[in-house]
Amino acid sequence: MRNWLGPLAFGLIVAAATAYVAIWAIPYALMNVAIERLGQGGVNTMSYGNLATPQRQPVVRPSPDLAYSSCPYDLSDGPIAIDVAPVPGRYSSLSIFDAATDVIFVRNDVEAGGKPFRIIVARAGQAVPKGAEVVRTNQDHGIALIRLLLKEPAEIGGLDAIRRQSSCGTVTKLK
Amino acid sequence: MKSWHRYAITLVGGIAVGLGAAWAITGGGLSGGAIVNGPWTTSLGFGTKATDPVTRAAVARAGLLALPAKETVYWSAKTDAAGAPLDGNCRYSLSGTPLDARWWSVTIYDEAGYLVANPANSWSVNGANVALDAKGEWRVTIAPTRLAEGAWLPGTKGQPFHLTLRMYNPGKAFRANPAKAVLPQIVKEGC
Repeated sequence: MRNWLGPLAFGLIVAAATAYVAIWAIPYALMNVAIERLGQGGVNTMSYGNLATPQRQPVVRPSPDLAYSSCPYDLSDGPIAIDVAPVPGRYSSLSIFDAATDVIFVRNDVEAGGKPFRIIVARAGQAVPKGAEVVRTNQDHGIALIRLLLKEPAEIGGLDAIRRQSSCGTVTKLK
Repeated sequence: MKSWHRYAITLVGGIAVGLGAAWAITGGGLSGGAIVNGPWTTSLGFGTKATDPVTRAAVARAGLLALPAKETVYWSAKTDAAGAPLDGNCRYSLSGTPLDARWWSVTIYDEAGYLVANPANSWSVNGANVALDAKGEWRVTIAPTRLAEGAWLPGTKGQPFHLTLRMYNPGKAFRANPAKAVLPQIVKEGC
């Protein structure tokens, strides 16, 4: 039995270290899965998702009352620009999540004064257009998400054209 | 048995135990939060930089891409007012007054947090589609079969369920004391 004391102590240390690393890694792993699932339409471009149903649930606890538009992003080739067009009198919000799932930016339609706005997402040190509103992040990957509330699912028919005015893309001009 | 055999066994065992522990520790879901109000629980720390690694991992598992509390408060209920687990075989009255938020909704999920197919293609009620009675209250029945009258949110026979209450842009009074806010009642009427 004494022969096992050393190995058992080693096993406990391994278990503690594994748990620590796994807990740290879980958000990154799940974010990667979400980027993969939401990024079917491509990275650095806005996908206007269909409403959540039992057949379409790209993330856990999707709200059937929301029209989600998502832009999985990758800043390794430069910053991205997100243009948001709020729908008058209707809750909508832009939220930006980094690779660790932390929220790095949120603005809703009221805070935006009901007006369209543009946000540049960039890594530290990346050149950005002059005068632009910039959100800096330490990570290349993440997801920008626009939520638009619907009173009834059928409303999406009338609101889809407006939500498609919101877009996302790589910044090509710095002026 | 050679010494390195023992170390190899405990190495594999240690990794397995560590992974299992990480999964168990982060499985508290949205109800792992600190604020309790009847059957509803929440944490106001979601979606911020300040959350600790365990909370962050738990939220990523239970509500990935959740908004911070200033924007949306997510309440989770796994039991009725009496503390019994929510059961898809039973009939519940879900009722309340309009909530102190710009918008609110209650959504029914399975235990893992996913929508389940139902004949009405309906998974939620919200502040814009519930009718208020003379007292200014709304009422929805959660049951596996359609009712003769009144608003219906389908449960699924043979399956437990969870409810998520979302409050978008909650009011100042609510944010000052969420534990004492008036939230919807979940009362079992029969099985």
